[in-house]
Amino acid sequence: MAIPFEALLPYAIMIGMFGVSSVGLVVVKRLKNEGKNPRYNLDVWDRQMMDRDRRLTGSSRGQTDNPVAPPEFAVNSEWKLSKRQM
Amino acid sequence: MSTSPREPQFHHAVLIDTTPLPDSIPKVEEVGATSAPLLSASYFIGARCKDYNEDYMLCKHEAKGRGPVDCLREGRKVTRCASSVLEDINKYCLKEFRAHWECLDQANHKLFSCRAEEKPYNKCVFNNLKLEKVIPDTPKGEVPVHLKESPIWRHK
Repeated sequence: MAIPFEALLPYAIMIGMFGVSSVGLVVVKRLKNEGKNPRYNLDVWDRQMMDRDRRLTGSSRGQTDNPVAPPEFAVNSEWKLSKRQM
Repeated sequence: MSTSPREPQFHHAVLIDTTPLPDSIPKVEEVGATSAPLLSASYFIGARCKDYNEDYMLCKHEAKGRGPVDCLREGRKVTRCASSVLEDINKYCLKEFRAHWECLDQANHKLFSCRAEEKPYNKCVFNNLKLEKVIPDTPKGEVPVHLKESPIWRHK
């Protein structure tokens, strides 16, 4: 029996649009977080630890479990400079 | 104007000062673990290094603002103790350790999400290093949350 595919085209369009945006979102999130799940609800502690991770490994999501840090870790801390607001 | 330290607002530049510490200060190698392995090992660092950590916190409290300068000696002890714990965990329990902190990294660093990996890891560390994870200030008579068999709050 012939299926009336014209009636199902709108559903295909909707599913396609949802699918494209979802897949796009997931891909962008994975690319940004190096394949890991994104981190959420970050407070100041978490942001400081991620900065430290970046100093140790080069990226905010990179992790290592060495007991001692490389020697350049002792001198690569960052001081943030801001101009006076008032 | 107030003299309390002000957080940088909308920082426009970053200064990296590569001058090393003066030679009069003894050198210590910093802990090289990033956030997830450090969180994973934190309770065991606390178990082994409790005295050094409390010494350091007391020194900073008594220094009343001059902590970073006056408490370097206690800080070196803390760093060396934490490094030793990480070294031992790497030597004896590397596989379970890696499984646990990789799970944590996927789970926004929430400990409740990774209890399945935590069980063999805690057992391995207890058998080899004799360090036990203890959650301080657990009310008496209550099972600590990491030992509950079927917790009703916060499961995966």
